[in-house]
Amino acid sequence: MEYEDKAGRPSKPPSPKQNVRKNLDFEPLSTTALILEDRPANLPAKPAEEAQKHRQQYEEMVVQAKKRELKEAQRRRKQLEERCRVEESIGNAVLTWNNEILPNWETMWCSKKVRDLWWQGIPPSVRGKVWSLAIGNELNITHELFDICLARAKERWRSLSIGGSEVDYEDAGSSAADREASLELIKLDISRTFPNLCIFQQGGPYHDMLHSVLGAYTCYRPDVGYVQGMSFIAAVLILNLDTADAFIAFSNLLNKPCQMAFFRVDHSLMLTYFAAFEVFFEESLPKLFAHFKKNNLTPDIYLIDWIFTLYSKSLPLDLACRIWDVFCRDGEEFLFRTALGVLKLFEDILTKMDFIHMAQFLTRLPEDLPAEELFASIATIQMQSRNKKWAQVLTTLQKDSRETEKGSPSLRH
Amino acid sequence: MGNGSEEDYNFVFKVVLIGESGVGKTNLLSRFTRNEFSHDSRTTIGVEFSTRTVMLGTAAVKAQIWDTAGLERYRAITSAYYRGAVGALLVFDLTKHQTYAVVERWLKELYDHAEATIVVMLVGNKSDLSQAREVPTEEARMFAENNGLLFLETSALDSTNVELAFETVLKEIFAKVSKQRQNSTRTNAITLGSGQAGQEPGTGEKRACCISL
Repeated sequence: MEYEDKAGRPSKPPSPKQNVRKNLDFEPLSTTALILEDRPANLPAKPAEEAQKHRQQYEEMVVQAKKRELKEAQRRRKQLEERCRVEESIGNAVLTWNNEILPNWETMWCSKKVRDLWWQGIPPSVRGKVWSLAIGNELNITHELFDICLARAKERWRSLSIGGSEVDYEDAGSSAADREASLELIKLDISRTFPNLCIFQQGGPYHDMLHSVLGAYTCYRPDVGYVQGMSFIAAVLILNLDTADAFIAFSNLLNKPCQMAFFRVDHSLMLTYFAAFEVFFEESLPKLFAHFKKNNLTPDIYLIDWIFTLYSKSLPLDLACRIWDVFCRDGEEFLFRTALGVLKLFEDILTKMDFIHMAQFLTRLPEDLPAEELFASIATIQMQSRNKKWAQVLTTLQKDSRETEKGSPSLRH
Repeated sequence: MGNGSEEDYNFVFKVVLIGESGVGKTNLLSRFTRNEFSHDSRTTIGVEFSTRTVMLGTAAVKAQIWDTAGLERYRAITSAYYRGAVGALLVFDLTKHQTYAVVERWLKELYDHAEATIVVMLVGNKSDLSQAREVPTEEARMFAENNGLLFLETSALDSTNVELAFETVLKEIFAKVSKQRQNSTRTNAITLGSGQAGQEPGTGEKRACCISL
């Protein structure tokens, strides 16, 4: 009986090996290890019937293995084809962007064809260029202006590092101590910007660029200064543009109404944005909205991080870049539409959670969030509330808040 | 004090982590809730959350910890998160005097927005960097004593006193709660805070176990 058991083992799937097998790319040889060709000499020979049975079992296993091998090869071929297809379509897209769209930007950028292509994601090689064009340069910042601001920032760093406290700060708006703290803060934050990429930290290839853009900005806009969250935005731009162009895009981007409201921490205006968001939230996802209300989960808890960093901290970087693509196309509205897309994607999970689990989930989104699913989810969100669009709802709320709120507003839950 | 199972608890205490940017709030929290430390943790924007359930005697206490951004400019936003908190760790970096110099401001901010009877511990973090110390232990201890705060020096990096810090705060809250319960004839009416954000709405039973001080 015991012998049979031992001999019979190969016919059963060896369970610990199964897990290993799944991880192997190539697996047919694994079965040969299981053949019991002949028994060790010290054991009695197998009965013919049993030997026959085992041979049969072995052959079946080989057939199975071959089948699996074939299937695996097919899967890999498919994968390769898919990758080729994607690469080809990216290649084609690059050509279209470079040869057709970019040279005719003004006339073409709002056409349906371009908008559709845009939604699918801008190829990385033209991304910076498209972002720059779409963000624009309302502020008319030149490379020379960047150089001037950077030179000033460098002067300050130098005087700070030699302990010069009598430096003449001619800019109004903030005290010398604030500015010093601001420079300290930039230093601190740079090391905490995409730490896992290891390129912005001291000694990393992009460290000086990030330092330059942020430093130059505090000289360009001392009234705004450095605010946490900026380092992430500057970093994403630096990954796609050279330093001076990154600075131009950065300054113009922060000058947009929504970004200005947040980075100046204009409390009442931020609340207005949250209120507008809730109007569309209730309209698009009434059940989840009610669940959030019941649990006192206010939008500031998750939106602040998402809006301040334009999702670059909360989503995988390549996915965040795709969000930026469409944000550059559609403006601030898309940031809130994305938020609704995220909420919708996880609606089923979220409705089963209590306050703390939702708060934890939303402030630390799954790292493997699938891009196509998220975009499919965002696509289903219509930013329409009783025939009103985002801008209309926001304007109405802004008017309301100006009229009703004379006292100091506060973020109350 | 042992670990209770995550979803089986009698009490929920909301605790906030506050203090200047870069003093190590996020690392203190990750050390306490996950026993992890990261040299390059990311900047906290807004607020992040973590929980850990611990046993205090026979009671399972779930600490619901709100890790807030330290940036001055964010203060208007983050102070709203103090509401309903029954405990706070006010953290400074003992190698940076500036982060200690502003502790009083943080304290005022906290008392303006949190429950009046909130348990506060002053925490001098980064005690592993003793060569770079800028804040003498005695100075901070005196300040804490004079202001009725608990005090400990910790190192999120080498774990020194991290457990003890959270543990002490939770025990202190628990002691207050127990005393209050004895004094109260209608224990079932006691709630944590007043039903604001951060509140587990819970079932009647759990609600009965949430406490306000």
